[in-house]
Amino acid sequence: MDIELSAEDLSFREEVRQFFSDNEYPAGEDYMTWRTQWFEKARQKGGWDVPKWPADFGGPGWTPTQHYIWEQETARASLPFDLPFGVGMLAPILMAYGNEEQQHRFLPDIRSRKVNWCQGYSEAGAGSDLANVKTKAVLSDDGTYYMVNGSKMWTTAAHMADWIFCLTRTDASGIKQKGITFLLFPMQQDGVEVKPIITLGGSHSVNSVYFTDVKVPVENRIGEEGKGWTYAKGLLQHERTGLAGLSGSLVALEKLKEQARSVTRGNGTLMDDPGYRAKVAELEIDLMAAEYTELRSLASASTGAAPGPESSILKLKGTEIQQRIQKLTVEAGGIYSAAWGSKPIGLPFARGGMGGYLASRAFTIYGGASEVQRDVIAKNVLGLKRSSK
Amino acid sequence: MNFDLSEEQRMIQESVARFIKDNYDLESRVASSAKDPGFNTDHWNTMAELGWLGLPFAESDGGFGGNQIDVMVVMEQFGKGLVLEPFLASIVMGGGALKRGGSESLKSEMLPGVIDGSRQLAFAYAEQQARFDLHDVTTTARQEGEAFVLNGQKSMVQNAETASQIVVSTRTSGGQVDEDGITLFLVDADADGITLDNFPTVDGLRASEIAIKDVSVSADRILGEVGRGFEILNAVANDAMLALGAEAVGTMEVLYKDTVAYTQEREQFGHPLSDFQVLQHRMVEMFIEYEQCKSMLYRATMEAVKGDPATAQKAIHGLKHLVGKYGFFIGENAVQLHGGMGVTEELRLGHYFKRLVVIDSMFGNADFHLQKFAA
Repeated sequence: MDIELSAEDLSFREEVRQFFSDNEYPAGEDYMTWRTQWFEKARQKGGWDVPKWPADFGGPGWTPTQHYIWEQETARASLPFDLPFGVGMLAPILMAYGNEEQQHRFLPDIRSRKVNWCQGYSEAGAGSDLANVKTKAVLSDDGTYYMVNGSKMWTTAAHMADWIFCLTRTDASGIKQKGITFLLFPMQQDGVEVKPIITLGGSHSVNSVYFTDVKVPVENRIGEEGKGWTYAKGLLQHERTGLAGLSGSLVALEKLKEQARSVTRGNGTLMDDPGYRAKVAELEIDLMAAEYTELRSLASASTGAAPGPESSILKLKGTEIQQRIQKLTVEAGGIYSAAWGSKPIGLPFARGGMGGYLASRAFTIYGGASEVQRDVIAKNVLGLKRSSK
Repeated sequence: MNFDLSEEQRMIQESVARFIKDNYDLESRVASSAKDPGFNTDHWNTMAELGWLGLPFAESDGGFGGNQIDVMVVMEQFGKGLVLEPFLASIVMGGGALKRGGSESLKSEMLPGVIDGSRQLAFAYAEQQARFDLHDVTTTARQEGEAFVLNGQKSMVQNAETASQIVVSTRTSGGQVDEDGITLFLVDADADGITLDNFPTVDGLRASEIAIKDVSVSADRILGEVGRGFEILNAVANDAMLALGAEAVGTMEVLYKDTVAYTQEREQFGHPLSDFQVLQHRMVEMFIEYEQCKSMLYRATMEAVKGDPATAQKAIHGLKHLVGKYGFFIGENAVQLHGGMGVTEELRLGHYFKRLVVIDSMFGNADFHLQKFAA
């Protein structure tokens, strides 16, 4: 066991830092232009625009340690806005299960961020029970297209998306994991309707999406008909790992302490309050341990193993840690955490703190609710069987 | 030993419950909250007509002669509807300070309007540097002849934008955190030098930051004695915490019951969610902590009505600690068990959850009162 960064790793870290500082957003410039250029420059660095892609597809082919360093540094730097659906979620499926034509057709625009994607998995009746897909796709008599009808729910960024990758039901006769077909189609067409869902923090990021007689050519099907669940499932483990957000929490924890130090309490600040201090300390200890759980998971991934049960642990612990940070921010805001509306009142961080806290309640629900993650660990790790319920 | 409500209290309870049922569906509440003045003035008038606004005032002041138990009965039902009307601000807090500290002439000038709803009061006690300490007061009042001149800043004043008068805590002597030297004034909201910055709160209510610049207030507007305002301030805060505790208990009841109902309807993995034992146990815990909060509410309220002040104070710290801690627990779990629907504005439970979060932030959160209790 050795946790020291090697000389190569240290110089990689320096290079990453240098790249981030050389390419900071110049205030006043057009944001989207800067964003496009940023990804282009990152591409020229040797695949830094798609860090997790394999080298065969133009990724950097980093070691797990390099990935870890990248994660750490990105949490502290201001990278351009990016959505995970194309680069992080669809691309690996295309690489593993798409045909060559599909890879050529879709991957370049995913990589350049020219086309925005959204993920059509969840439905009103398919939340934690994700395989319970009801959206129907019926193959035309001549076998050239599918006719899609139904609806998706909780579709993040559907209102900004050009395309959707979608789980559809082509056969309802067997078990629900069978008969699911993975289709890709454009969002801007007749028969696709997007309605916003406003969440507790008052923001609009998720949507309901309705499909009425949407025609999807068969060449937009990934892999075989009826095997879509297999393609989607493998990626869910990746998604769960990504949702832990530990490097983000490290930065958020520093910010939390800073905010607590700005709150007066008696002769000192809130960070002098033993009760509050203890809660921050407990959080920090859990986060330190979780960081190493993540490193252990990375190290085992470096041997080529698929993300294993650690990803469920990380999603559970990571989201719980994020929620605790948000809750402590609300506590730090005190009376001002109640203030809502367009301007900050009293303490500058309080308005965002409440919004963040409310939004964070979804973290233990989406991407597999915590209860489901515990089921996964019980079944796959501890080997426990459920007798009936 | 008797936990039964009196005949009159039962009638009030039924009447408030009916009012909530008939008027406080989520859609109507959201609509009232969104437009000025942030509540429904017809409802406010109804509350006055039904006599609720006079409940905690002495009969000699034109009130009903009730006590904290009567307020508890009303507030618990209000909690089930997330009532927006300024009962807490005007009746429990503003009115509570006036009835305790106002001279006979001031009371007879002000209270009839408070009780018939035509005059609203607000209660400005919080300051930024104080966090939750009532006795940390930097707003000053300097005597000039027969009047006092006030300067300072007050925070998060509930329903100040519709108040005619605002009770303001000031420092007339002593150090910043001394209990002695605090004086309460009943200040006209439209007095020269009072500036309100109004804003909504996350639970759909309204509050204001108040800047006080060279505001001249006559000495006959002092509530209680000069320098002895803390006793009233603390008594009003205690009443407010009991009222908030009752409201929280009503809110928790809706949350746990909604969750029990929803998990029986919602199917996942071929079963209603309520079939899963892990969820059953979670709901049992929500129910148990709701009942514990209710017990503590009864205990603290009864101590406040009859008991020794130190014992009552301790029970109130205990109550505010419990409703804060379990408000988060019940609210967060209600959201979690509703899944994605729990984090939308479409179902009512999210709104109830937000109210519990705000209640914890008022008059000291769960941590603060745990420390006060232990001190």
